[in-house]
Amino acid sequence: MASIQDFSGYQPTWCPGCGDWGIGMAIKKALVELNYSPDQVAVVFGIGCSGNMNDFLNAYALHSLHGRAIPNAIGIKLANHKLPVIAVVGDGDCYGEGGNHFIHACRGNHDITVIVHDNGVYGLTTGQVAPTANKGFKSKSTPAGIVEVPINPLSLALVNGASFVAQGFAGDLNHLISLIKTGICHQGFSLINVLQPCVTFNKINTYQYYLQRVYKLDESYKKDDFKLALEKALQINEEKFPLGVIYEKKSLSYHQQLPQLKDNQSLIDKERFIEYDKLISGFI
Amino acid sequence: MTFTWKIGGEAGFGIMTTGLLFSKIASRLGYYILDYVEYPSLIRGGHNAYEVCVSDREVTALKKEIDVLVCLNEETFHKHKNRLTSQSLVLYDKEEFDFTDNFNKVNVPLKKILTDLKGQAVMKNTIALGASLSILGGKIEVLLDLIAEQFKKKGDEIVRFNQQFAIAGYEEVKKNYSASIKNFLIEKEEKKEKLVVSGNEAFSLGAVFADCRLYAAYPMTPSSSVLHTLASWQEKTGMIVRHSEDEIAVINTALGASFAGVRAAVGTSGGGFSLMVESLSFAGVAEIPVVVFLAQRPGPATGMPTWTEQGDLLFAIFSGHGEFPKIVLAPGDQKEMIDLTLKAFNLADIYQTPVIVVSDMYLSEGHKSVERDWVDKIVREYQIRRGKINLSQKENPQKLEIFLRYKITEDGISEKILPGTAGYFYQENSYEHLEDGHTTEEAKPRKDQVEKRLRKWQTYLKNDFQSPKFYGNENAGVIFISWGSTKGIVLEAQKRLKEKGIETGFYHFNHIYPLDKEIVSQFLKKNNKRYLLVENNALGQFGKILAMEAGLDFGEKILRYDGRPITVEQILEKI
Repeated sequence: MASIQDFSGYQPTWCPGCGDWGIGMAIKKALVELNYSPDQVAVVFGIGCSGNMNDFLNAYALHSLHGRAIPNAIGIKLANHKLPVIAVVGDGDCYGEGGNHFIHACRGNHDITVIVHDNGVYGLTTGQVAPTANKGFKSKSTPAGIVEVPINPLSLALVNGASFVAQGFAGDLNHLISLIKTGICHQGFSLINVLQPCVTFNKINTYQYYLQRVYKLDESYKKDDFKLALEKALQINEEKFPLGVIYEKKSLSYHQQLPQLKDNQSLIDKERFIEYDKLISGFI
Repeated sequence: MTFTWKIGGEAGFGIMTTGLLFSKIASRLGYYILDYVEYPSLIRGGHNAYEVCVSDREVTALKKEIDVLVCLNEETFHKHKNRLTSQSLVLYDKEEFDFTDNFNKVNVPLKKILTDLKGQAVMKNTIALGASLSILGGKIEVLLDLIAEQFKKKGDEIVRFNQQFAIAGYEEVKKNYSASIKNFLIEKEEKKEKLVVSGNEAFSLGAVFADCRLYAAYPMTPSSSVLHTLASWQEKTGMIVRHSEDEIAVINTALGASFAGVRAAVGTSGGGFSLMVESLSFAGVAEIPVVVFLAQRPGPATGMPTWTEQGDLLFAIFSGHGEFPKIVLAPGDQKEMIDLTLKAFNLADIYQTPVIVVSDMYLSEGHKSVERDWVDKIVREYQIRRGKINLSQKENPQKLEIFLRYKITEDGISEKILPGTAGYFYQENSYEHLEDGHTTEEAKPRKDQVEKRLRKWQTYLKNDFQSPKFYGNENAGVIFISWGSTKGIVLEAQKRLKEKGIETGFYHFNHIYPLDKEIVSQFLKKNNKRYLLVENNALGQFGKILAMEAGLDFGEKILRYDGRPITVEQILEKI
């Protein structure tokens, strides 16, 4: 059985106190607890402080471009659906630059787990505003305050057909570990939006800010009720942050609906097609 | 004997299907064909035309004169009459329009037959096909067979219903124009089985033969029919064919699949390719094999979507930021498209880098005859070469070990094991990286990795680069130089010049980039010969590459950039 140590690469370079430490640890612990070892998982990283986890986490990994981790993850899953595939991305990365991919991955119910570091800023490029920042947020790129209202990642995922939508908090490690485990085991697309204070560039959305505004969904919460989920998701707009699995629905994932993969053999393991006569006859 | 049959009508009324049927008829009767379509970028209301050049020998270029013009509407006549001669036949419906010009009339009451037989508008085409076959001396059975194949799933009644339109057209001409019947399509006694394939279909076949397992694309003329063709085959071939949300997703899905170990390709035209280029650079640094099919159309921007141009060559060669190796190939015809597509997948794997196969609308959408035994042979002889991609499970190390994915090697190529291989792990990285894939900003490993990647070009030039093919007379004073789809047009011009007693030579390039400086400058020595560069663009882009790479500058250029293919006549005028 693999250990946390086996999954640990370089010593992280995140700022002391950054929420990314919690997310990094939660991912490793979730993988260990699910009995995976680094040679059994594929992880795609976007670009940003979140993506820098590529050097700190051992796995078969692809450190992608800014915004493009999701289509890479989809490609890996289609080629070898037996591998669990995780995309570790940031809010600007996933909801800004890669927003189109995010919407369509929700629609497609691709069996990948997308873990978003949501801190309201672009940390790695020194603190410009991210799509999740509150209206009026002042940053180097928006000195007078951002005009746009924030993206609501949870409702965005829900209305576009995501079959698993969850929200965690980098300040609550055990809860986050359990969310990531559930997300990885979920069949189909899973979003885990993680509220993650950036201690260097975001002086508004701090640990204190979140601690006062987060709350956990209780045991009796009905995860399969879409309307209720939407209601919970919309609470973000009033700066109230539900934590837990907001929505979970059992449905076939993308690759399970492809006739080419009906026999459950992965694309890479299939026999080469050689009955060329079947195609050539159409050109005579 | 070589003749051109052309049909025209309103867009949306099955001209494309009808033209292709004519090509197949001629092919089944034992002839060689080359065809070409003209259509506007809209679904209804514009003018569509389809011409087929038929001969008993290989056809490499279109012909200026139209021998049989089938007018499904009056516009067709006016648009194309400048290419008719006094020998030409015009097949039309007098009820629709009439003309006084001195061409041979074949009046077929298309409208009346259609009404009498209670047909739908598109069946006018079937009547016209039957009539065409009749006036050209072909036998109707070939058309009836094709109709039967097309409609067999819908049952005998539907087959017979459609066939009667062909028969009616055929009989009508036989009855009224028996004296005008030509012997152009008499069934050949000796026939070679031939495929009628477009450039896009040739790429599709090549991709399947090469064991490409994932093809992703976003529709864009003139590349879309690759997407349609491969998608229609996917349940047979097992290939995953994905129409993603945009071209950026397209190439990144392919890169993900390729990272996981399967052969993957994407297809697009200039605009879509523009969106892909950041990711092409990613493939370059992360060393991910991918085949990009680039079917050019006239740009800039949306340009002229349904017309042809070779305007994206420099863009393809220099695509992607930063310095990394890529290989650019440009087939000259449908056969070369199959051949080079097969090679492209091998090269992408061997060099673990992007390979771009450049086509254009003229090659992509036009059909040409390809002998069946040639296809069978090339498939039989093809060997999948995956280079240093190790598909077998590597022996397990004592304990979990990081794999040196970017190990420095003499040939620039590092071993890759597949994600999921037990006992190892590694990352492929868009950042500059160390041998083990970890990100680095240190000077020495950066320099080492840049040089390692660029060495792949040297290895390619040594092992896999192919010199331009030479056609014609080596001692000739006139030498043509061209690349890609202009091949057949230059070959035909050479033939015509030879008939006039003018000897010429012709270097045709299909391994476009990188070029071997030594080889190229040796071929194209500065001497007293007259060199003519032939390109379907305004800048003479390949000429610029030859100037840059081999210091060769050609003053004389035959260029065309009005959206139409270069013509044989355009070349002849220059000599």
